[in-house]
Amino acid sequence: MRRRDGEIEFDALQFRGRARFLAAALTVVSLVLVGRAVQLQVLDREFIERQADKRHARTAPIIAHRGAIQDRFGEPLAASSPVESVWVNPPEFAEAGEGIPKLARALGINRQWLEQRVTSNLDREFLYVERHVDPVRKEAVRKLTLPGVYFQREYKRFYPNAEVTGHLLGFTSLDEEGQEGLELAFDRTLKGVNGEKRVLQDGRGRVIQNVEVVQAPSQGQDLVTSIDLRVQYLAYRELKAAMRQHRARAGTVIVLDVATGEVLAMVNQPAFNPNDRGQYEVARYRNRAVTDIFEPGSSIKPFVVAAALASGRYRANTTIDATPFRVGTLTVRDKHDLGTIDVGQVLARSSNVGMAKIALSLDRSHIHSTLRALGFGEVTASGFPGESAGLLTGAGTWRPVNVATISYGYGLSVTPLQLAQAYATIGAFGVHRPVTFRRVDGPVAGERVLPASVARDLIGLLEEAVTPAGTGSKAAVAGYRVAGKTGTAWKAVSGGYSTDRYLSVFAGVVPATAPRLAVVVMVDEPQGSLYYGGDVAAPVFSAVTSGALRLMTVAPDDLARVTPLAAAEEGL
Amino acid sequence: MSMSAALQFSRSAGRQQRLAIDAVIVTAVFGLLLVGLVMVTSASLTVSERNGVEPFFYFQRQFLSVVPGCTLATAVLAVPIAAWRRLAPWLLIASCALLVIVLVPGIGHEVNGSRRWIRLGPLNLQPSELARWLLVTYIAIFAVRHQTELRASAQGFWKPLAVLGLAAVLLLAEPDFGAAVVLCVTGTAVLFVAGARMRDFLLVCGVGAAGVAALAVLSPYRLKRILAFLDPWSDPFDSGFQLTQSLIAVGRGEWFGVGLGSSIQKLFYLPEAHTDFVFAVLAEEFGLVGVLVVVLGFLVIVLRSLRLSRLAADAGMPLHACLAAGFGVWIGLQAFLNIGVNLGLLPTKGLTLPLLSYGRSSMLVTLAWVGMLLRVHHEVAVSGKSALPPEGRAQ
Repeated sequence: MRRRDGEIEFDALQFRGRARFLAAALTVVSLVLVGRAVQLQVLDREFIERQADKRHARTAPIIAHRGAIQDRFGEPLAASSPVESVWVNPPEFAEAGEGIPKLARALGINRQWLEQRVTSNLDREFLYVERHVDPVRKEAVRKLTLPGVYFQREYKRFYPNAEVTGHLLGFTSLDEEGQEGLELAFDRTLKGVNGEKRVLQDGRGRVIQNVEVVQAPSQGQDLVTSIDLRVQYLAYRELKAAMRQHRARAGTVIVLDVATGEVLAMVNQPAFNPNDRGQYEVARYRNRAVTDIFEPGSSIKPFVVAAALASGRYRANTTIDATPFRVGTLTVRDKHDLGTIDVGQVLARSSNVGMAKIALSLDRSHIHSTLRALGFGEVTASGFPGESAGLLTGAGTWRPVNVATISYGYGLSVTPLQLAQAYATIGAFGVHRPVTFRRVDGPVAGERVLPASVARDLIGLLEEAVTPAGTGSKAAVAGYRVAGKTGTAWKAVSGGYSTDRYLSVFAGVVPATAPRLAVVVMVDEPQGSLYYGGDVAAPVFSAVTSGALRLMTVAPDDLARVTPLAAAEEGL
Repeated sequence: MSMSAALQFSRSAGRQQRLAIDAVIVTAVFGLLLVGLVMVTSASLTVSERNGVEPFFYFQRQFLSVVPGCTLATAVLAVPIAAWRRLAPWLLIASCALLVIVLVPGIGHEVNGSRRWIRLGPLNLQPSELARWLLVTYIAIFAVRHQTELRASAQGFWKPLAVLGLAAVLLLAEPDFGAAVVLCVTGTAVLFVAGARMRDFLLVCGVGAAGVAALAVLSPYRLKRILAFLDPWSDPFDSGFQLTQSLIAVGRGEWFGVGLGSSIQKLFYLPEAHTDFVFAVLAEEFGLVGVLVVVLGFLVIVLRSLRLSRLAADAGMPLHACLAAGFGVWIGLQAFLNIGVNLGLLPTKGLTLPLLSYGRSSMLVTLAWVGMLLRVHHEVAVSGKSALPPEGRAQ
């Protein structure tokens, strides 16, 4: 197709062929692409699905709510409420650069600490920065809109009564696991079992879709405790006032329901606020009412008298020569030589000599079994974590000097709760009922450990201790008859007994004619001029019981002795 | 698209001819544009979130590229092909100048390690897109003007190839490997249809193959890295990351897709979901059906362009034939390379999907190029020498 002038003309035929070739080539390419799409979307579907699942699907917990704790009337003692925790995706967060100082400032945390934490966790995708952030700080962080900073809804335990129920309830960890107190004791009831669900997540690990519930959560159950919050408050207030007045080191008040064994109130000092975990101090966390043991001193005496009465060899009016005497190397004496007194006087005037004489005349295994039956030397049925069993050695190891000292409360150790339980048994006219922190509906059978007549006689004797002539006169409650016993124990120190460190105790039951409450008040190391149980613990007992009896609308059993003036003063 | 501008132009030029528009191509282009707008919107929702802009930010930007793009296409449609022929030297100078300017620090703007952008006030322009169009046009004009040389000697083939080579070097300096490949292959294809001697052509192919072989021998490590795409699952969290995410997206689509907006892979798994990997999101949301529609759309444009080029050749209009072939090869190559990357058939390179991907420069240039193709169609149709009806009704 040459032109005459030598120019080669455009070859349309060749062009057509080559253009067709290009069209064919590109058509083949498009077919290859479609074939590949078919391979990926139809044939390799399962492989791709697996790969996708690996990246998209994960199981996430369905949080089960922790049950609330309530007092016996349904008042909230502990409840969980939603809070936000701040977490970061370290690589995403670090990439943004100036995020670290901003976030540290908004949260009020140390910048270096945060920086170190983020940079050393760059291989992770989830890192808590601050758990349980209050709403103000959360809002400050949210406003920063920093990349890689996220919030997680969590639940925080709140204790509306703070210090008042601190020791009793204990607390939970940040993950809502019971750590102390009733939170730990009833963790299994309170704690739900988290469920599981399959979710799809986006490229940043955030849930974008719930696929299915693998396992439904089982929610935690509410715990209805035996506590009467009103009595609890009262006990807290009175104990705290006494602590301040006597500059004491520690203190405990326990109120038991005689008929059911329920703990109506249990407070300790010094207390702590479980809502503020900043004030961490292990000593403050201890529920002394169940964990600490002490030598009960005179407050043990009624139970040895109970053994004496039960033996049949003593009656309330049996007389005893209370002049000082020696047992082995020990000279047993009272503050004054009381001469010959009856059993009632031994208790009312708290005569160590009288007690030792009685105890030595009894079969020592009888004393031991009586104390044991009343619950000393073994943990109560309360189930409270860390509860102590006290210390009561076997009767076989007792020498006469041990028998003598045990009779007035040295050489054995008890917890305040054990003491309260033993008084409750007396108050129940000899029926021992297990101590419980859960509300009990209906009567509790219990186990008879003392003849009713012995218990009645003993209550009668204990009433004398609260008369103006007795050591516990300040425990009196207007309108009610009180049966109780003081105790002022020297504290054991290394190598013997301290002469200036005391434990002041008052324990008793009210109303004496048909006891409803057993109350123990213990004040450890009062620093003032007063240190006798009758001066330090008895007034607290009086205040707590008079308030509790009225709150519980217990009928007065001693209106005869209330003068109109006193009745007016007491608001009867 | 408004045709009034073109019609007015025709009238003012004194010719009382109806505009002959290829309705098939126009339909395919508009179909793909629509799919693109929908997919960019769907894919960019999470990108907007990540970049802290409104959810429809990228939709609005894309829409504001399509509208001026159509206007530009209309304007180009009004320019006679003869005018381009007269401008030939300027096309070469302008495209080389654009490719050089973008490399100058201070003018060229660097993003992710590549100097590909020129900032003009509020606009970011990617000069390589424009240079590509102008250069392919220039090569077509050159090949027709130097028909004799091209068909008779090796020189006639190597000269335009040298121009392509220079442009490719400038593109590699940005670096923009994908654009360089597309430009070289398109330019070579234009020379091929224009009548380059088969032995010269095969020699070029041979040199290219030898180059790859040399790379394999001299730098096996680099080759291995390039070929890593063949088995992305062996290293899915590093070198194979983008690709595995893309394959998962495509695979999840199955027959009919997970539904518009329901893509999971666009949720921070798939990088560049609204630009280079918008096809993967489409494949996930619309499945094999969506893939077929898009591939078919591009194939229609490609085949229609090449058919137009054959008709132009028959009508004795070689420049029109070369321009139409150049457009067809370019859009097919660019689209199928991008889709090939999305489907894991090719190594990941920054290539946009014409008419679909988010990107203003690409959109404007592609639509302008479509305008030029429509002009070619019009002139071939009204020449009276071809089988095309001058009334512009599609066959």
